[in-house]
This record gives sequence, C-alpha cells and structure tokens, in this order.
Amino acid sequence: MASADGGAYSYSLTVFSPSGKLVQIEHALAAVSQGTTSLGIKASNGIVIATEKKSSSILIDDSMIEKVAVVCPNIGIVYSGMGPDFRILVTRARKSAQAYWKIYGEYPPTKVLTQEIANIMQQATQSGGVRPYGVSLLVAGWDITRGPSLYQVDPSGSFWAWKASAIGKNMVNAKTFLEKRYNDEISLEDAIHTALLTLKEGFEGQMTEKTIEIGVVTVPTQAELEAGKVEGTGRFKPTFRKLSEEEVRDYLAL
Amino acid sequence: MPDGSFAHPQQRHFNPYTENGGTILAIAGADFSVIAGDTRQSEGYSIQTRYAPKVFRLTDRAVLAVNGFAADGNMFVKKVKQRLEWYRHAHAKDMPLRAIARLIQTMLYAQRFFPYYVYNILGGIEEDGKYHTSLPSYSTAFPPHPLSRVHWIKREWKCGPKVLVANTFRLLVQLGSGAVYSFDPVGSYEREACRAAGAAQSLVQPFLDNQIYFKNQTAPAGQSHPTHLPLQDVLSIVIDSFTSATERHIEVGDGLEMYVVLAKGRSPQGLESIAGIQEVTTKSDSDRVFVIRRELKKD
Amino acid sequence: MSIMEYNGGSVIAMVGKDCVAIASDLRLGVQSLSISSNFQKIFPVTDRVFVGLPGLASDVTTLHEQFRYRVNMYTIKEEREIEPETFAQLVSSTLYERRFGPYFIEPVIAGMQKTPSGSLKPFIAATDLIGCLNFAKDFVVAGTASSKLFGVAEGLWEPDLEAEDLFETISQTLLNAVDRDAFSGWGAVVHLMCFFEGSTHPLAQPRRSSTNRIASPVAP
Repeated sequence: MASADGGAYSYSLTVFSPSGKLVQIEHALAAVSQGTTSLGIKASNGIVIATEKKSSSILIDDSMIEKVAVVCPNIGIVYSGMGPDFRILVTRARKSAQAYWKIYGEYPPTKVLTQEIANIMQQATQSGGVRPYGVSLLVAGWDITRGPSLYQVDPSGSFWAWKASAIGKNMVNAKTFLEKRYNDEISLEDAIHTALLTLKEGFEGQMTEKTIEIGVVTVPTQAELEAGKVEGTGRFKPTFRKLSEEEVRDYLAL
Repeated sequence: MPDGSFAHPQQRHFNPYTENGGTILAIAGADFSVIAGDTRQSEGYSIQTRYAPKVFRLTDRAVLAVNGFAADGNMFVKKVKQRLEWYRHAHAKDMPLRAIARLIQTMLYAQRFFPYYVYNILGGIEEDGKYHTSLPSYSTAFPPHPLSRVHWIKREWKCGPKVLVANTFRLLVQLGSGAVYSFDPVGSYEREACRAAGAAQSLVQPFLDNQIYFKNQTAPAGQSHPTHLPLQDVLSIVIDSFTSATERHIEVGDGLEMYVVLAKGRSPQGLESIAGIQEVTTKSDSDRVFVIRRELKKD
Repeated sequence: MSIMEYNGGSVIAMVGKDCVAIASDLRLGVQSLSISSNFQKIFPVTDRVFVGLPGLASDVTTLHEQFRYRVNMYTIKEEREIEPETFAQLVSSTLYERRFGPYFIEPVIAGMQKTPSGSLKPFIAATDLIGCLNFAKDFVVAGTASSKLFGVAEGLWEPDLEAEDLFETISQTLLNAVDRDAFSGWGAVVHLMCFFEGSTHPLAQPRRSSTNRIASPVAP
C-alpha cells in the first residue's frame, strides 16, 4: 500500500505492491500534481498549448525559463512537474526527431514522436538505478496523415490523445472548466483565449507575458501544402511555433 | 650521388597517347551518306578547343571522320589525303570509296605495333548502286539522266548445244549508293549502314540500332521496315543523337558538323531549305558534298 | 572488373502523364557465363511503390530482405503505408549505413506519390551504391547498361507520355540498351503504374498496376 512513508514497496522501483501498483510511479504523479498547471486545446484549425511560468523569487531572470519547447518544426511540448526531468526529455525527443529525419528525410508524425517519448518514460519505470520522470507532457503537433493532434504522456509511459487536457496543480478544476468550454468547432483564436481563461482560474499572482507561455500548432492551407518546400530553405514551413512575449501580451489584453 | 650517377636504377615513363573525347557517327542512305562529328576537343576535364573538326572531305564522294587521339587523327587524315592525291596524279580520277576503305586498312595495319590511336568512320558514295537495266530502244524512249553513270556492256547468251552470240547491247544506268565503313585502330573494317564511335558510342549506337535498323520494332502486319531512310529523317536522327550525347556526356558538345554526300544524279531537293548549308564539292558532274553546321550546348 | 559486372543486370524507370514505369532485364550471370534468364531484380514495396535492385546478386537478396523488414516495421509503427519519396529516403539511409563497406547495388525507385489534394503523381528516384539520391523528373537508369540506357532514353523519352506510350518507350529503351550490353539482357520485365482520375475519392479508385514481360527469358 502506498502509505505516507511509502511502505515496504516504496524503495524498489520495479516491485509491484499487493494492490497492483508501482508506488514510485504514484509518487512521480504526485510530483506532477505539485507542478504548475499546463493545458492544451485542439481547435478546428490548430492546437494551443499553454502553461504558467512561475518563479520562486523575483530575483530570477525568468527570460531563461523555457517550459514550452519546440521538438521539431511540426511538434512542440509543454510539461508539468520537474523542470530538470523535462529538459532531459526535450533533448531526447529532439534527438529522436532528428534520428527520424536522418532515416526518412522528414520529421516524425506526432503519434510516432509521442510513442518515442512514452517509451523513454516507460523504460525509466523498469530499469535499474533510475527513477521515473517526474513530469507529465502535452505533445502538440501536425502531420500529413493525422493532421493536428494533441497527446498527454504520463510518468508511467502511458499516453492518450485528447481534444483538450490539463496537467499539474490545478488539473482537476482546469479539466472541468475545459469540459464546459470545449466544442469541436472552436477556432484556434478562441482556443487561445479559452486556454488563458482556464489558466486564470486558480492563477496565483498576475498573469503577464512574463508568467505565461504559449505554443501553437497551425494547420497549413491547401495552397501551402501544394507549394511544398519553401523556396530557398529546402524545408517545409514549420507548423509549430511559440508565441512571442508581444503576442502573449496582445492576447492577454483582449 | 654527388658525382651525378644514380644510386638506384630509375625508370622514366612516357605515354605517347592521350584521349581527346568527342563522338563521330555516319549513316548510309540509299543514294546519300551523312557523316557527322562534334567539334569539342578535350583532355581530361579540360576543354582544349570548342572547334576542332573531326570530319574531313577526302574527295567529292568520300568523307572521313576520325576520333580518339587528335594528334594521330590529324596526321592520319593528312597521310590519307596525300595518298589520294598521288592516286589522282597517277590515274586522273578520284579513288573509289571501297578502295579508300582498303587503303585505310592497309595504312592502319602498317602501324600494327605502334598504332594510330584513332577510330575511323568513312562515309560516302559507293559505285555499286542499283543498276537500272534497259534495252537500247527503251533507253531511246527514256534517255538516262545526264548525271548518272552510263555503262554499255556486251552480253553473251549460251543456250542449248549451240553457242548463240547475241551481241545485244544493254544500257546499264548506275546510281551510286550510300556507304559507311568503320574501322578499329589497327584496320579491322566492315561496311555498315550506320556506326557511332568515340566517347559517346555507348550512348548513341543502341539509339541508332533502334532508329536506323529498327531493332526490337515489329513492322505492321503485311509491311516491312524500310532498308534506307530519307535524308530528312537521317539528319533528324543525327541531330537528336548528338543533342542526347551532349546532354549526358561531358566530352561531347560545342558544335556539330554534318557532311552530306549525295550520289550523282540524286536531286539535292530538300537540301537548299536547310539553314546554313554549304556545298564543298570541287568538280561539276560528280557526287556532291555539303556541310551543315549546328550549335551544341557548351556546358 | 567492376563488381556491378560480376552478375550484370540493368534497371530503368520513367515518368509519364499520371503514370510511371520501371523495367529491368532478367539475366543473372557470373562474369561472362549466363546462369539464369529469370532473375527478378524489381520488387513490389507497397501497392504503389516498386524498387529495382541491379548489382551484386547476393546483395539483391540481402537488401530486398532488409527493405522488406524495415518497410514492415514502418507500416506497423506508423499505421500507414510508406510513400515513394519516404521509401527513397529509407533506401538512401540504409545504404549510407554501410558507407565504408557498401552493398554493391544501385537502387531505382518508382511509385505513385500521394499529393496533399489526395490524388497521385508519378515519382522516380535512383541512388548510387552509398545512397546518394537522384530525384529525376524524366528517367533514371542503373546497372551495367546504364550508359546505353542514358543514350537511348535521352533520345526516345518525351514529357507527358500516356500509359501505352510510356510502356512502349521504356520497353524500347531497355531492349535496345541491353542488346548492346553483354552483361544485361536475356529477357525483360516492365511494371507500369497508372492513376485514373474520376471518382469522388481518388484513393478509393481502382488503380491498375500491371506487369508485362516484354521479352521472354531465354533458356540457358
């Protein structure tokens, strides 16, 4: 049993408790639910992922903190939980995307990259000498086969596709809020505002461009798809990007 | 060593040959020949000149294309021309094409152990064209073309136990026929309807097999493929061959020279409409030689 | 002697209007000795991708197995069939893995590529033995008769050939080229893929992918 001190099964990562749980994973989830809230909403023409960026001291230069990360031109991720663990996963995910590019000459579909990340996280639940990652992730991306897709990955390595989801401290409230606000026809613009509204619920302190991070997936137009690679660059136009502080400020002002 | 001698035996090497690229080709028609070559001359990856002719008029009925080592080629053409001039002085006529072919073999084989590093293609008009036979009475009604070769020969018939000498004269009207001879560097030669040689031989020859010999093509039921193509078709195939070779072979390009040899008696009709065509015949009342020049890509 | 000449063989692929063709000879030899007149060098990868593998016969088999494995893994992992262009990239990276001890194969890829609008367009590519890709718009050639194939194809090919004309063009090109190559010949095979426009959903359309033996294999 997962008691407060962890009980007899809490030390070994790979030993099931009699109730069928791996308590280290439960603890990892507990670490996630202490993390700042992040959320993602899939709109009809794109996806938004957003998180609050809170620093423990006003003395910290918050321009250094990055919670929404670009993995490859079509995929971005956000996390709740332990920042250092996220950094490792971002690096691994970026390497995985580049390895895929080296083999197939294109970036991975969102699902494939999500699977790769999930595998990495699963291995940390079964290998010796390691602990599970203390993060949950929201993976947002666009690809030609599945279009825009949003996935959540948990410390256990399990993952699901979502229309909208929230992770971290306020996830229960945020999910209830999203359930009320969500509809299948929502536009990306509306989704960004919904995301900000959701974060506002239970936001401690001032919501500014310094304390919010937003990433968006845009669906390429038919014309952009037909045009193919951008002239001169030899690359497709990126479909994932982070919003600049100016853009976040403009959204907050509305 | 200080005294100028060598401690070890030293070997010096001189290679007297080089390869100068380019491609030549010749096609024989029923009463004409086309002999063509590009004008690029290169050594390795360097272009030495964009205009170095590889095709030469020998007589009014013979044109020689040489490809391989340019220095050998030029010297060889010079010597062939010299032999043809001696022949003219001795016999007061131009050497027949088949004789030039045999001369070239002899000259090449004479250098069997230090060969001219050249592939030769000889094209022109052979004196073995179709005979148009007719009786004198017939020929009076239809006089032979003034430019055609006319031979009167005596024929004898032997029939039964008695020998019957008919003493009949027959008119034989001979039209020259297009001919192409191809040689290897030591004089092996063969008469053919078409041949490509040089850097792009492997690109051009299978194309010629298909377009000239109709290889791998089935004629429509009840029909057969022509044995000779019209001049216009041949010129198109030659131009296509060289533009294709220029596209895919770095040693081919810059310019194209096509010599057309017309049999005496064949009307030059259709030729005058060709842009930039130039006649290089020396005598009247003979086979005629024309040159057509075209640009090829220079990159 | 080039290793390509050990077993011999040639492949060519050409683009037409809404169609693509890939063809090869059928000879397998050991230097000048001909062994088989029915040695297939072209393999289906998916319903609309073919790969031709001219070169060392043992590597033809090895690489074919390698590609089969990798394409199957891709299909399962990604829950979709590999596109011709993606497959060409896979061929390239697979060969480059052996950069300093290469497979002696010069692959040729032909297929119908899905476009963003949902229709199909012809795709061809070829690589050298270490995977340097050549995405040509007209035709690609490989094998012991490659220079001959280049010459004839350059003379016969033209843009926007209809399926029947493409079939004739690729057949004539291959046959006349291999006839001048001692290491290639002994029968030939052509694969033709066509896309017929017209249905509401183009991918639901029945697509024709036909294989024609254009010259019977010669009995050894």
